[in-house]
Amino acid sequence: MMRSAPGVRTRHYTKRDYQAFLYLLPWLIGILVLQLYPFIASLVYSFHDYVIGGKMEFNGLENYIRLWTRDRNFWKSLRITLVFGVYTVPFKLILALAVAMFLNRNIKGINLIRTLYYIPSLFGGSVAIAILWRLMFMDGGLVNTLLQTLGLPTQHFLGSKQWALKVISLLEVWQFGSSMVMFLAALKNVPASLYEAADIDGAGWWSKFFKITVPQISPIIFFTLINQTIQQLQNFTSPSVITNGGPMKNTYVLGLFLYEEGFGNFKMGYASAISWLQFLVILALTLIIFGTSKLWVHYADE
Amino acid sequence: MKKILSLVLALSMMLSLCSFAMAEEQITLRFSWWGGDARHEATLKVIEQFEALYPNVTIEAEYGGNDGYHDKLATNLASGTAADIVQIDPEVFPTYVANGDYFYNLDEYEIDMSVFDEAYIHQRINGYYDGKQLGLPTGIAGPAFLINKDVADKVGVDLSGEITWEGLLEMGKAAHEADPEVYLLCANKEYLVNLIVFNIVKQQAGSTVFVDGKLVATEEHFTTAYEYVKALFDNNVVAPIEYMAAYQGDAVQSDANWLAGKYVGTMTYISTVDVMVAGNPNASYYPANLPVYEGATEGGWASNTPQVLTIPKSCKHPEMAAAFLNYFYANETAMETLGAVRSVPPQAKAREICAANGSLTKVVSDSANIAAAIGGTPNDKISSTNESKNILFDAVELVAYGEMTPAEAAADTIDQLKELEV
Repeated sequence: MMRSAPGVRTRHYTKRDYQAFLYLLPWLIGILVLQLYPFIASLVYSFHDYVIGGKMEFNGLENYIRLWTRDRNFWKSLRITLVFGVYTVPFKLILALAVAMFLNRNIKGINLIRTLYYIPSLFGGSVAIAILWRLMFMDGGLVNTLLQTLGLPTQHFLGSKQWALKVISLLEVWQFGSSMVMFLAALKNVPASLYEAADIDGAGWWSKFFKITVPQISPIIFFTLINQTIQQLQNFTSPSVITNGGPMKNTYVLGLFLYEEGFGNFKMGYASAISWLQFLVILALTLIIFGTSKLWVHYADE
Repeated sequence: MKKILSLVLALSMMLSLCSFAMAEEQITLRFSWWGGDARHEATLKVIEQFEALYPNVTIEAEYGGNDGYHDKLATNLASGTAADIVQIDPEVFPTYVANGDYFYNLDEYEIDMSVFDEAYIHQRINGYYDGKQLGLPTGIAGPAFLINKDVADKVGVDLSGEITWEGLLEMGKAAHEADPEVYLLCANKEYLVNLIVFNIVKQQAGSTVFVDGKLVATEEHFTTAYEYVKALFDNNVVAPIEYMAAYQGDAVQSDANWLAGKYVGTMTYISTVDVMVAGNPNASYYPANLPVYEGATEGGWASNTPQVLTIPKSCKHPEMAAAFLNYFYANETAMETLGAVRSVPPQAKAREICAANGSLTKVVSDSANIAAAIGGTPNDKISSTNESKNILFDAVELVAYGEMTPAEAAADTIDQLKELEV
């Protein structure tokens, strides 16, 4: 096969070059059929009155206007989703970091301990674990039985609007393993010399943590923050299984709302509009976090 | 041996003579239905039995799954090529009836209608259109009020007689007072809406919630229904709404209190009775009557058939097709063969037979007797959608939690339902 000199663009591809597409095909089909097509189709649907099985009728911005002005579920749902994000993301990150720091040491059996802490994340988003959560927190469930044994007052965890969302958030926070693994890797990369120098200068634990650890691992914190924000704002499984949006829609996150409209009421056009608004909210938040990153994310090579 | 041989010969001669004599009247009918294997087997057996009685009749069975059945049927009806006896979904049937004069009035043929409960077959959904019996129901699906007799006896309430809505409240109060762990009704918000709110509203309004796409139930009707729901919670007739949060939708079947025998009963569906009984199988059960307001013109408690059987006008031998239907519905051998393959049979006699041979439990068969006798119009197309039900679920929840008064919730419900008018 002819090879062109470096930097010179080949005009003609050989047959063998085209074989590359064959190997890329699974990925290409995947992105075209499972990502790009639904992405564009949902945008098109969102401007239509489209009920599954019915005709698609163009109705311009009507779906969006209705959501924005007349649908009380949308605003409630958006608020719940944001609160859910506030409940889960920071606590998940803090817990992941704390556990990562605890595990970042050389003691006997540390690998086993790390594995144990990671296990909850392997169940991530699974229906089975959500059902388990429901059974644990229902009246007469494990948690209430424990409270009773300890002589503490029992709670209607799933049926009270004060508790329901917190119980679901707790499930998310509990699945901190993947963030923890990232933090653990980042912590191991912080040069020990920095801590030694700080020790010589007589720095305390907190000042080492805030002045060395946090800046050093800030790129990973940044990455995890964005990742988790996106993930939590799209959550569906746990609120759907544990409370189905109740009580009184206090756990009715956007994911549930759009599912209900699309697959309960068959209003695909309307559901698509919801998903696009959800996408825009997530995009806006991500951009804001990106914007602030200059202020607090420290890259060693800068 | 010779005797038997000569007998067989004589018989076969007689048969051939008969068939020779009737050769001109040889009739072939087509019978189409959908279903599963059990239904196919039983129906084919009944066809054989009928053919044995009428040797000049051959019935060709056309059966399969439900997929595309009605699409094909619509074209067949329009082109006059439908089978001579056709099973139809009662939800689709009105469209066919509206689109053409496709079906014979079965009242004009010799079918023993006395096997049915008159009120039941005279419902539109069960095949009765403008005074004509265009179809006959094959089964009963509907509400049931299942009582755990052991618990009822323990707390001293008796639900075996006639029941009023007010009486139910009183009994609920008494039951909870007798044992603070016991509630009269096992019901979550979905069951409260589907079985209590809808029926109160329909009984008050004298019609379905929507009629011809327009909302006819009023704020007053909904206020009455929601006030009743509030009273159920206030008087501990049902378990606290916070408790029920863990048992949404059909999860009432796994309600720990039901399994532990802490409910007197549950308003449920005939198809679910066996499931509920299985949850606490050691107790004894009976079905209670369903409450209806005095003087209500609409019973509300709708039970309807999962299929109707019809004879399309394209049939050349309607009297013979009717004879088959008569055998199918009124012959006891046929009843026994068919069992419950088309759900709980609509004929009391067939239920008796099924209960005796074990294909139906007694409590299910008794529940069907009650449902068939009471009658009521099924929910209209709009109020049976998920969307309108969700509006009522939310309202019931808000009332139960005390976030809205019944009147506020009713006003809100009406506002939202109005948007669904067509």
